Amino acid sequence: MADPAAGVSGWEAESREFALLCDPEGVILTADERARTKAGLEPGMRLLDRAVPGTADKFSASLQRAMHERLSGIELSLRTSEGLATCAFHLRPEAGGRVGLLGSLLPEDHGRSLRQMQSAVNEVLSLNRQVVRQAKELEAQKERLERTVAELADSNRGIDSLRLELEDNAEVLQRTAEVRSRVIANVSHEFRTPLHTILGLARLLLDGADGELLAEQRKQVQFIRSSAEELATLVDDLLDLASAEAGKVVLRPEVFKAADFVSALRGTMRPLVPPHGAVELQFGEPSASLSIESDRSKLSQILRNLVSNALKFTERGFVRVDLQEEGPDVVFRVQDTGIGIAQEHYALVFEEFGQIESALQSRVKGNGLGLPLSRRLAELLGGSLTVASEPGKGSTFTLRVPKVHPEVRELHEIQARPIDPARAPILVVEDDRKTIFLYEKYLAMAGFQVLPVRSISEAQQRLATVRPAAIVLDIMLDGESSWSFLGRLKADPQTRDIPVLVVTVTNKEQKARALGADEFWLKPVDQDLLLRKLRSLGTGPSTRVLLIDDDERARYLISHYIAGEPYRLIEATSGREGLAAARQQRPHVILLDFLLQDMTAFDVLDELKADPLMRKIPVIIVTSQSFGPEELQRLASHTEVILSKESLSRELALNRIRDALQKARASGALVEGGAA
Amino acid sequence: MTSVDPAGENYQHALDRYLAAQLSGDAALALRQLNDLMDAGHPPAEIRSRVVQQAQHEIGRLWQLDRITVAQEHAATAIGQVALSHLFGRSQFSARLGVPVVVACVSGELHDFPARIVADALEIAGFDVTFLGADVAEASLLERLAANRPRVLALSVTMVFNRESLRRTVQAVRDAFPRLAIAVGGSGIRDCADPAGEFGADVYIRSAEDLAAYVGHGEAGAHG
Repeated sequence: MADPAAGVSGWEAESREFALLCDPEGVILTADERARTKAGLEPGMRLLDRAVPGTADKFSASLQRAMHERLSGIELSLRTSEGLATCAFHLRPEAGGRVGLLGSLLPEDHGRSLRQMQSAVNEVLSLNRQVVRQAKELEAQKERLERTVAELADSNRGIDSLRLELEDNAEVLQRTAEVRSRVIANVSHEFRTPLHTILGLARLLLDGADGELLAEQRKQVQFIRSSAEELATLVDDLLDLASAEAGKVVLRPEVFKAADFVSALRGTMRPLVPPHGAVELQFGEPSASLSIESDRSKLSQILRNLVSNALKFTERGFVRVDLQEEGPDVVFRVQDTGIGIAQEHYALVFEEFGQIESALQSRVKGNGLGLPLSRRLAELLGGSLTVASEPGKGSTFTLRVPKVHPEVRELHEIQARPIDPARAPILVVEDDRKTIFLYEKYLAMAGFQVLPVRSISEAQQRLATVRPAAIVLDIMLDGESSWSFLGRLKADPQTRDIPVLVVTVTNKEQKARALGADEFWLKPVDQDLLLRKLRSLGTGPSTRVLLIDDDERARYLISHYIAGEPYRLIEATSGREGLAAARQQRPHVILLDFLLQDMTAFDVLDELKADPLMRKIPVIIVTSQSFGPEELQRLASHTEVILSKESLSRELALNRIRDALQKARASGALVEGGAA
Repeated sequence: MTSVDPAGENYQHALDRYLAAQLSGDAALALRQLNDLMDAGHPPAEIRSRVVQQAQHEIGRLWQLDRITVAQEHAATAIGQVALSHLFGRSQFSARLGVPVVVACVSGELHDFPARIVADALEIAGFDVTFLGADVAEASLLERLAANRPRVLALSVTMVFNRESLRRTVQAVRDAFPRLAIAVGGSGIRDCADPAGEFGADVYIRSAEDLAAYVGHGEAGAHG
């Protein structure tokens, strides 16, 4: 028979439970062995003295209660020989008001784990606060950014209103200048009539038509005459200056030979040379081939002014006129050996009535308008008038003007431009160069090509070779003939579908509409309105861009990049589809993804290059792949450029497309490809 | 006083449910009570003082009454800490003031819950708060003060037996940083007649809002 206690006894030493008997004050009366060894509690100790601060009050209350009732699960934190330990007690009343306690020490690591858990929780919560802080900071940054954006918008608005104010001011100034010029012009006219009467009568008197004058009378009448002549010149110059300032000068460019111009000038200036022979007027010979396209009479007016001025202020020596070609300009130099001008007076001589005090000046006074007017005219011709001089030695006035007047050149350039198949041609029938430039500026930016013609007959010639996407017609151009031109356009089945937008200064909408005008506007035309109308007529440019990429995201990105650009995007989701689209729609440029599912980019390129109709279409490789030297070489021979998907931006994509189109255009490929 | 304050009733109901969830160890349920209050438009700061802080007092009382064990108390407190953190994240932060403040519990003080509430409130009010947590040894406190150079130091004491520790800490800080403003607070010194004077501090504060007002009005500025 085995001992019934065998195997389950002898564990007492491992037990963490102990028994105590205390008096009502908590003084230990009896303690078992484990109380002494495990909890360090000895008879005579006050149990509460061993309690960790903060827990004693609570435990003492439990002791009081335990004199009357059994309690369990009462916790006390004890300071033991091994440190802090939590102990759960059962308490019960014993005889004589004493209390019996059964204590159970919680395992040490239990408390430690609790504390560790606590600090782990705190750690996590600190991290959480960190995240919150960052989120709040981000929010604050976003707000700041939004505020900055709003402020920017505000300053933009401020700038806008300032600009409007400036425009208003400019308008007022311009109006003031116009009024001034008009007054001057009117007054000058009023002066002219009586002046011419005086001059005519003086001449009659001097001619002796009504009897010879006495010598003294003759002298007096001659004075009257020369004074009146001076006054007449002054009035003429004033009139010219006023109209130059009012922008009323009409430019009449023509082509003429420099040599003819100089010989005519020589003829008109000769009589001005004083008869005493101390001053010689010389002319350099211009090259026989030099021809000029500018306003001949204005040019001649300037030079007459300069030469007569030089003759006026030169007592002996020479006045010399030279001209020579310098790049795109022709340069006239009028050199004299006269009194000269001090450097500090250079600016003054170009000012209205700005004259310098000097002995000779006071003798041969000009009217003070010749040089300001000449400079103004030089600017009108797109050039400049400057002076270099040394007092006592002479002056050289330099007139530099473009051989071809800038407006004329610009118009030539626009007219000479070949038809660009990527742009919708707009025939602009308009005789005012400035208006043509305006149309050119904003229509070109929007992807149209302006074909300017300056008369109805030119328009008819142009229509014989080009079919424009629309016609902008200035109806005042040739009066009745432009109305009948409109009527003919709309009656001819060949041209009837071309939209005609009539633009004019007087309201003739009913007539225009009756003749078939698709739109009628009063000048000046609002550019947005014009662009919207042209676009709504379906005349928008139609450069076709074929995108072959099986990645939907890549297609989406590219389509976003070129949205708003004058390109029509054709999307193909595989190499096969792309080749078919290229064959049918003949794009102007192809964007080809290097990594296609169904075939390699090399295959696509090979097929494209094998077809003579597609061979010249520029191909841009779009890839996220990096290439080896052989691949690169092979690609480079067949493609325009390789674009990396990683670094692809809107600007980059558009620039590359533009470059490719430009190159293809230059090589003539586009005409072929775009003729579809 | 009968309830004429519907918000008060909301808070009472939420407090009961929150506390129950806290004691049963259900953090998600506890947070839901707070979210419901916020959704009803109650501000996080009010929820913090009228629900989370109240519940924490109640937990202390229940432990005192032997109604819950130390382990339960710890678990509930952990949920309380999560709740504070949650409310912190949902608070509307004021603009940064650039005023550094250090909040700490004195050496021996293990309850950092009230100090945490103060630290959160100050941070939300725009102060740059460094919270050092429970039981901060004097030496490491002085070290942190030297590094952070705060405008104000706030010391928390929840247990009466830590008053001596508070007295020593204030003295040590005064010796090292004579111009630093020291605020003291907590249930451990609430019963003192003149808590600030008794411990050599500059001001005694009853609540997070008190301290925010004290720091914010520049009363501490002179001590720089």
